[in-house]
Amino acid sequence: MIENALGKKRALIDKEIFILGGLLLLLPFLLPYKTLPAEIVIYALGAVSFNILLGYTGLLSFGQAAFFGAGAYLTGIFLIHFGWHPALTLVLSGVIGALFAAVIGFLSIRQVGIYFVMLTLAFNQLAFFLAYQWKSVTGGDDGLLNVPRPDFPLFPGLKIPIQGNLQFFLFVWVIFLVAFVIIRRIINSPFGRILLAIRENPNRARAVGYNIIHYELIAFTISGFFTGLAGGLYALFMKMVPINAIELLTSTDFIIMSLLGGTGSLYGPIIGAVVTKIASEILSVLWARWLFVLGVIFVGFVLFMRGGIWGLINASWSKFTTGRPEEGRNP
Amino acid sequence: MILRTVNLTKQFGGLIAVDHVNIQVHEGTVHSIIGPNGAGKTTLFNILTGEIPPNDGEVYFQEKRITGLKPYQVAKIRIGRSFQQNSLFKNLSVFENIRLAAHVQHQGRFNFLSDFRSFHSPIDQAHKVLEEMEITSIAGKKVGELSHGAQRTLEVAIALAADPLLVLLDEPTSGMSPEEAIRMVRLIRKLAKQRTMIVIEHNMNLVWSISTVITVLHQGQVIATGSPSEIEKNPEVRKAYLGGAAV
Repeated sequence: MIENALGKKRALIDKEIFILGGLLLLLPFLLPYKTLPAEIVIYALGAVSFNILLGYTGLLSFGQAAFFGAGAYLTGIFLIHFGWHPALTLVLSGVIGALFAAVIGFLSIRQVGIYFVMLTLAFNQLAFFLAYQWKSVTGGDDGLLNVPRPDFPLFPGLKIPIQGNLQFFLFVWVIFLVAFVIIRRIINSPFGRILLAIRENPNRARAVGYNIIHYELIAFTISGFFTGLAGGLYALFMKMVPINAIELLTSTDFIIMSLLGGTGSLYGPIIGAVVTKIASEILSVLWARWLFVLGVIFVGFVLFMRGGIWGLINASWSKFTTGRPEEGRNP
Repeated sequence: MILRTVNLTKQFGGLIAVDHVNIQVHEGTVHSIIGPNGAGKTTLFNILTGEIPPNDGEVYFQEKRITGLKPYQVAKIRIGRSFQQNSLFKNLSVFENIRLAAHVQHQGRFNFLSDFRSFHSPIDQAHKVLEEMEITSIAGKKVGELSHGAQRTLEVAIALAADPLLVLLDEPTSGMSPEEAIRMVRLIRKLAKQRTMIVIEHNMNLVWSISTVITVLHQGQVIATGSPSEIEKNPEVRKAYLGGAAV
């Protein structure tokens, strides 16, 4: 019973990672849209990073686009002006995302509930207007144009080309999996478990001795890092940084993906990203008001299936294997 | 003396919930706080644990002033508490509830690159508490699946998880069925033998059997403090609290 209560210790890389990697690897071969697979994986990284906050700490942040945009602009600007190694540039995108998150988090998490949510939203707007106004650096409304996508120097003398759609997808795929392995480890660390305690009952977490502000701030910073990294990849993907990378709508994209896919696991947001991105590609061709359909689906899930698509899969799976539905969310 | 308060006072608007309260708790004793509803018992607990700041007065723990510490700081100096209303980590297992509370006193709280299962001391500590509270058999269950009685037991278990020097229990038997209450009384009697505790309780059977000292609160004021037999004979207590009836 106790073994059951704790679960097994997880290896850094196990079966789940191989299955996830394998399934994602199918995307470029299954989808008729050549650039979509890389975009899906980039958004999946943003959604998984967001879910560290919503799903694992219980914080609904509307500020994600600020971290995403900061990362995207940093990669864009550094590649245009300095031509640094893309790996270093991407890491710095994560760092700037983390920095933005640390500042916005610091100023927001002392407030709770709706006030916290509104503050993150306000800071996102602030970041947006900063990017909008600061034309000389960000390109303002037109976006930051002509971001190069150089070959990726792996070792001196060995450059990996990432120009082609499939090449770039593989590049993003590798970075995503590395980031995912790290995020999963964080979630399963003592620190990650304390985040769960905060999600479940912040007052009790405080009463048993955790200074929850510190934990929330670190969670914010971690989420900001990976969101910034996703933003950096987005700049490489688009070969420009459109102003909407930092717009509030990008924050809501991550929120919708997570809720639709299911916030109770790390896989939910990935499924959410896959489904929403593919649905929007297909539906937007069929009907100009496709967002309406997505909205209805979203409302349906929030009202009737709080576990999201992942919850649905999980419940059907355990019904199939044990004959009874799984109760609740992750342990 | 492990804990003492000096003229502790808390006012909510016109209501003085805690009025110049002085209590002294000695190590190894069980100090019960009784009094009618609204006497200020839970408010007193909330001040002791930093949930609310007092308007006046001081709290000393092991002769160090702890007035105004935040709840997490109070927990860190090893004062554990349970709540009158269950306050649990609902979607987590019983074991995880206790392990998380135990981890506060151990290394690795800010470690985010190792699996939490490699930190053995909080796990071992949780095992001990599960056994002490006799809930090992439900360790794997999610809190939401438990009966009220089992949730109350877990509420107390969380208070014990970090091996506190002083345990504050706020009505551990509240809302329990008679059978559940009998079990809880037995458990708390067992705990009382080895721990320093302050207990708020309405179950007089429990109070009289575990207490070294009883403090009676009435309208925020201490009207009597003494051994159970002294309290039983105190005419003021009878008048204010026991309605003059024999105990």
